[in-house]
Order: sequence, then C-alpha cells, then structure tokens
Amino acid sequence: MQKEYIHIILADDDEDDRLFFTDAFSELKISTKVQTFNDGVELMEYLNQEDAVLPQVLFLDLNMPRKNGLEALHEIKANPKFDSMAIAIYSTSSSEEHIEETFVCGANIYIKKPSDFNTLKKVLSDVVTLNWQYHTSGLNKDNFLLRM
Amino acid sequence: MDFIKIYRSPLFLKVIFVISIAIIFFIAGITLKHIHSLSNASNWVNHTYRTAIELEHLYADIKDIEVAKRDYLLTKDQTIRFAINIYKKDVQKSLEKVKALTQENKEQRKNTIILEELIQIKYQNVDKAFALVESRINDNYVVADELLSGKKAIFDIKMQVEKMVKLEEKLLDIRKANYEDNQNLTPIIIYLLLLFILGLLSLAYFKMNADLINIKKNNDELILANESSNLAEIVGNYGTWFLNLETNEYTLSDNEYRLLGYAPQAFTPSLEDFAKHVHPDDYSYVKEIADSMIHQEILAPFSYRVIKKDGTLRHFKAMGRVVENKSNERILIGTTSDITDAITASEELEVRNRILEANNKELQAFNYVASHDLQEPLRKIETFISRLIDKESESITETGQQYLSRIKASAGRMRILIDDLLQFSRTTRAENIFEETNLNEQLENSKAELTQFIEDTKATIVHEDLPSLNAIPFQIQQLFTNLIHNSLKYSKENSSPLIQIKVDKIIAEKESLLNFQTKDSYYKIVFEDNGIGFEQEYAQKIFDLFSRLHGKTEYAGTGIGLAICKKIVENHKGFIFAEGRPGSGATFTIFLPVG
Repeated sequence: MQKEYIHIILADDDEDDRLFFTDAFSELKISTKVQTFNDGVELMEYLNQEDAVLPQVLFLDLNMPRKNGLEALHEIKANPKFDSMAIAIYSTSSSEEHIEETFVCGANIYIKKPSDFNTLKKVLSDVVTLNWQYHTSGLNKDNFLLRM
Repeated sequence: MDFIKIYRSPLFLKVIFVISIAIIFFIAGITLKHIHSLSNASNWVNHTYRTAIELEHLYADIKDIEVAKRDYLLTKDQTIRFAINIYKKDVQKSLEKVKALTQENKEQRKNTIILEELIQIKYQNVDKAFALVESRINDNYVVADELLSGKKAIFDIKMQVEKMVKLEEKLLDIRKANYEDNQNLTPIIIYLLLLFILGLLSLAYFKMNADLINIKKNNDELILANESSNLAEIVGNYGTWFLNLETNEYTLSDNEYRLLGYAPQAFTPSLEDFAKHVHPDDYSYVKEIADSMIHQEILAPFSYRVIKKDGTLRHFKAMGRVVENKSNERILIGTTSDITDAITASEELEVRNRILEANNKELQAFNYVASHDLQEPLRKIETFISRLIDKESESITETGQQYLSRIKASAGRMRILIDDLLQFSRTTRAENIFEETNLNEQLENSKAELTQFIEDTKATIVHEDLPSLNAIPFQIQQLFTNLIHNSLKYSKENSSPLIQIKVDKIIAEKESLLNFQTKDSYYKIVFEDNGIGFEQEYAQKIFDLFSRLHGKTEYAGTGIGLAICKKIVENHKGFIFAEGRPGSGATFTIFLPVG
C-alpha cells in the first residue's frame, strides 16, 4: 500500500446516516479517511476538480436531492478518469429494479443499509477491506448484493 | 357419355337449328319436284289422247277421200274432185299436228314418215282413179283393180294408225309406271324427314326446358344469396359499391345508403353525391384516393369520417379490388364499413388503459414509499436503539432497558411486516416473466435461504425429483421458502421437523380435490409435515391476508406468508389446498398446470 490510510467518500443526503457512517469507521480499527457530501451535485463538483484526490471506495446513496445516486453513477462511469474507483451503492431500498439498474450501470457492490449498528460496522469493514480486483473479476448479479 | 357431353354443349341448339332448316329446305325441294312431275304426267296423258284423236281424224279424212273417190268413179261428177282436194287439206293439217306431237319419240317419228308415205300411196291411187275416169276406160277389171288397191291403201293406213296409237298408249304406260315409282317414294321420304325433325325439335325442347329450369334455379339461388348478403350487410354494418371503370357508373347496395342515413336507392349514385357526405377535413384525402383508385388493381383499406344525412358523424373504413366481368369490363368492387363503434370502443379502452396505467404508477409509487421512505425512519430507530443498548445501557435503569428491548421488538416486527407486505405486492406485479424453470433448483435455493433455520430446528427435508415447467423462478422459490418456513415455524417442540415433498402428474377430472370436468394435466406437489397441524375448519382461512391462528407471542408472524403462497400459485394458474391434522401435522397440496 502506498498510502497508510484508505480513502473513502460517502455521498448521502441524510445527516443521521452520515453520522452512523463516520461513527462506524471511527470505531473500526482500520486507518481510514472519510469524506462526506450531501448530494450528487456536491460530490461531482469535488470529483471533477483537476486536483481532486480520488477515493478507493465511493459509497453512493441512491435517493438524494438535486442529483441522485444513479445520475452520479452514470457520470462517473462515463469518465475513464474514475475507472480505478470502486463504487458501492449504499441504499435503504433493496428493490430489484434498483439492484438491477445499478448493476447494469457498473457499480461494484450493492449494500442495503443495515438496521443494526454492529452489523453496519461489520459490513463497512468487509467492504473496505475487500479485494476489489478479485471481487470485480468474478462479479455477477448474485454476489452483487452484499448479503449479511 | 359423349352424347351427354354434346347435349350439354351450348353448340347443341345451334346444330339442331341448322339441321332443321336444311331438312325443311330439302322437303320443300322434293315437294316442288313432286308437283312438277305431277303436272308433267297429266301433260303426257293429254298428249297421248291428242295424238290418238288426231290420228283418228286423219284416218276418218282418208276414209272420206276413199268414199268420195268411189262416188266419183260411179258418178263422174267433177265437184267431187273439188271435195277431195278439201279432204286432202284436212289430212295435211292432221298430219302436221301428228308430226308435231310425235316429235319427241324416235320410233313414232319413223311411224309418222311411214304414215306419210302410205298417204302418198293413197293419193296416187286416187289420182289413178281420176285418170281412169278421164280416159273413159270402162273396163270392169281395171275399175275393180283400182278399187281393190284403194281398199288396200286404206287398210295399210288403218294398220299404221292403229300401230301408232298403240305405241302412244304403250309410251303412256311406261311414263305412268316411271312416274308412279317416283311418286310412291316421295311421301315416305317426306314423312321420315318430318319425323326426324320432330325428334330433333323434341330434343331441343327438352334441352331448352332443362336449361330454363337450371336458369330458374340459379336465379333463385342468386336471389337468396343477394338477400343474405343484404342481411349480412345490415348485421355487419357495412355496405358494398361497384364502380364500372368503362362506363364510370356507380352502383350502391341498399345498406350503403342506410350507412349514410338514406332509404335504399334514394338517389342515383355518383362520386359527387358521395363526396358531399365526407367530412370537410378528410375531403382532400378521400378525393386523392378516389382519383387514384381508378388506376389501381387494389384499393388499400383507408379510413375517413362522414357526416350522415341527419348530421351525425361516423367513421368509415373502405377497401376494394378490381375484377373483370364476362363482358371484359373492369369493375371496382368496394366495401364500406361503419367502424364508429370500434373506434369509440378503442378510445374508451385507451382512456381506461391510461387510468390503469396511472393506477399502476401510483401503486409503484406506493411500493417505493414502502420500500424506501417507510423503511428509512424505521431503520434509524433500530440503529439508534442498538446504539443506545450498546453505549448507554449502564446509565439506563432496568425498567428503561426493558422498555428499550420492547421498542426494539416492536420495531423489528414492523420491519418484518413491511418486508412481507412488499413481498406480497411484488407477487401481484404484472411484469413478471415466465420462463422454463427447474423446480429442483428453486427448492435448493429455498433450502439455502433457510439454512440457518433448518440447522437450528434440526429439520429433515426429503423430496422426490421435481419437474421443470414454465414459471416465474423467484416466485416459485418464494413459494417453497414460505411453505418450508411455515412448517418449520409450526413444528412440535419435542420432535425434529420432517418435511416430505412428493410430486405426481394428474388429470384434472380424476382429481377429487380439483372437482373439474376437464382433461387438463397438472403437477400435484404435496408438502407434508409432522408439525402441530391445525383444525380443518381453518383450511381456507389460513390463506387470507393477515389471518393468523395463533397469538403473536407464541409464534411470530405477520399472516402474509401463506397469502403470498396463494397469490403465487394463482399467478401460475394453479390451485393450493391445505389439510390440517391437529397435533400430527399439515399437508399443503399445490396443483400447477403442465406446460
């Protein structure tokens, strides 16, 4: 590893979820740098800066004002600059349509927001320590949705 | 057979007509000839008698001359010589006539010459008598000799005349015989020919009669066909029209008039008459088609609006085709149908479809609200509770902690309820796609889904080899999962659950549970467990939404699971039945159609 920490970005309009997210990482024994954005517009503004530091993993909520997660996902996948970034969909919904659509659009994993803080910690630690190269090469619709 | 073929042919009557005319001419010919020979024959008879009479005359005159000669010899009266000269002239006249009459026959001509010579001999005899008187020879021998020779000459003439008369009579007989031969044959020929014509005419009569009956029959059929087509037009709400492309004349069927709101044949049809009923907005379009249809073999279907006589607006659809009739005229046959009702119906359907679509969208929106918006606050409540329990439990009293665990349980129950409701609404969605599904695979998926529960309850699941059928895979999996889950949940505490799954292919009418009279085949899949069972009176009720047989505290559940099962089976046009044996188990029987 070149960097001593894992760079993570979360785009989520919900303040409570952002709080749970940062709390979970601060309680985990993994060295991470967590950045959060309130919606897709803020996120893309940051990512599109020339000198932006790209995260290893981007957590993307789907239901956001102004620019939702799916629109952001489309923009990111259209730009080869972001190819190295792993994208985890992080949503309350686990509807087939959302899973299907984001899978087709090229997201790497789909996480249904857990309703238990300890589960959340486990899920997030699993995801950030995941071997993305290995996961992506064997990616299919069945293992796209992270099961707990 | 050949004769029947000829008899049927339209040439038959013509041939009979020509033959009849020819025979009539022939009969007329022989009749004329017959009349002609009849008059010939009477001429001949006449001729024979005239010849005989002339010869008699001639002989009488010769005799007169002989008598006069004898008178002269006795009296020596000079006036007698004068009388003899007159007689001679008479003889000459008669002779001329006989000559003329016997001109045609060679033998009779010869006879006439002989007769003439004999007459000359007679005259010489007379001249000798004159010379005798003048020389005053009164020798009795000489006179006697002269008288004898005179007598002989007369006798010769008489014989010759008789011979000629006889010959003439003989000729008459020959001619008569000839004539009779001819005349006897002619009536028979005429009679036979007339019979033949009669036969031909009878044949022609029968043929014409048969044709007439045929025509009448065809005519009757045509009238029937016309009437039925008229009725069909009224029932089918369409009309027919013909355009003769040679004469440019239009013919409209009765119903075509009715479609426009007129009584049948109320006006003489023309393009202008029709055009004035076409909706002004459609006029140019219809005119363009009307102008081009004359050059086309097929008038492709097109729709337009018309305004009826009473002012109501109707939608018409027309199409047509060019056909050629027996007189080589090209005729455009077209139909017009009133499609107003169909258009109104389809418009209504469209409106209903839009409403349905809107409803569907609302339902989807509700789904989204349920899946996302309702879950979000609930999830947060749960997360905050878990945070409270983890981090703040020391600072909360025991009662407070009890309350917290109650809140947690309620929140958890609400989560299950929302999840189950979502699942139920998903099974009712229309866009589920049927595909060839191996039920064994879906059963394995269900078992994998329930691994933890199966391990916890130490359950055994045995199953026969399940078939493949056209189904919605994830729904079948859901069905199996719910049934197994149900059995595990309501298992007996003291014994480990056993679930047996059996399958059979059956015919509907032979299956007592189905009570159908059809021969459709179904797969009968039976899930049998050894759990707590239920009273048979609830066998129907357990499939109702939110229906529960037990208290919430005994068995957790929402009462949605079996309702989902029923919905899924109905989605697959199948049937599900439950049978309970309190204390010993339950049996769920599913019928899914084959193929």
